[in-house]
Amino acid sequence: MLLRNDTLSRLCRARELLAEAPEERLSIKDIARQVRISPFHFIRQFEALFGLTPHQFRIRSRLDQAKLLLAKGQHSVTEVCMEVGFASLGSFSDLFTRRIGATPSAYQRRARVMVSMPGVLPQELFPGCLSLMGCLPPSAFRNFREASEPGASLECGNANQANQHYGRGPG
Amino acid sequence: MRIKLTSIMVEDQDKALRFYTETLGFRKKHDIPVGEYRWITVVSPEGPNDLELALEPNANPAGRTFQQAMFAQSIPLVAFEVADIAKEYARLKALGVVFTREPAKMGPVMIAVFSDTCGNLIQLYQPA
Repeated sequence: MLLRNDTLSRLCRARELLAEAPEERLSIKDIARQVRISPFHFIRQFEALFGLTPHQFRIRSRLDQAKLLLAKGQHSVTEVCMEVGFASLGSFSDLFTRRIGATPSAYQRRARVMVSMPGVLPQELFPGCLSLMGCLPPSAFRNFREASEPGASLECGNANQANQHYGRGPG
Repeated sequence: MRIKLTSIMVEDQDKALRFYTETLGFRKKHDIPVGEYRWITVVSPEGPNDLELALEPNANPAGRTFQQAMFAQSIPLVAFEVADIAKEYARLKALGVVFTREPAKMGPVMIAVFSDTCGNLIQLYQPA
C-alpha cells in the first residue's frame, strides 16, 4: 500500500483524536468522518500504518495513560479508571491486569516504591533512551556467537532483581 | 571510540521484533528481560557484526511525543541500505508494508520510506 502525504496527515490527526480525553471522545465513525476517510478505508489504512486498529489503539492509549497516572500516585485506582474513560472499575482492572501483568493497585504500589523524587517518573517503568543498558549482563556486549550461548541471559543480576521486584518473568 | 549500537523506539516490543525479523528479515541478536521491558537488538544477516539496532520501549511520554511528531512530519528516524531498492520495495509491499514514498531518485541515491507499524517511518536507500 502506498499512502499519500495528505492521507498520512489525516491518519496522524485521527491518532491524536483517538488519544484525546474521554469527554472529547468521538466514535470511530465520527473520527473517520472528521478526517474525511470512509470508515472502511480508515480502519484498513490505520491498521496498516500503525499496526493496530483504531479501537485497539484507543484501548492501548487509555492503558498507557492509566499507567502514567497510577505511577504519579496522586489518584486512586477508581479515579484513574474514570479519568481515562472506563465506565466500569471491574472491566478496567481486568483489562489492565491482562495487558500489564499486574493489577492497577499492585502496579501503583510498585511505582510508589521506585519514585525517589515526587513528580519524577520511575526510570524502571518509564525508561529513557538506552537506559536499560545498565541492567544487561556482560554477555550482551560480546560478539554475536558468544552472546547466543545458552544461559547468557541468566548472568543478568540486575535484570533478575528487576524481575523479582515485579514478581513476573520476561515480558 | 566506535559506533556499534543505535536504537529506535517502538510502541510494542513483541510486535516490533516480529516486524523487524519476519518482515524486514533481520536477525535477533539479544533478547534479555529487564523488568517490565526487554533489551532486544537485531542485526542484519548481511552484516551480523555491523551496527546493532536496539528496539527500545517508548514508554517515556517525552519519547512518545518526539516519535509521534516526527512521524506526523513524515520524517524517517532510521535508514537502511539496500542493494536493489526496486526489488526490496516490491518484496515489502507484497508483505503488506505501507510505503509513504515510492523509490525515487534523490541526489546521488534512490530512497523510499515505509512505516514499521511501531510508530516510525524508515528510509531505504540505494547508493549510486
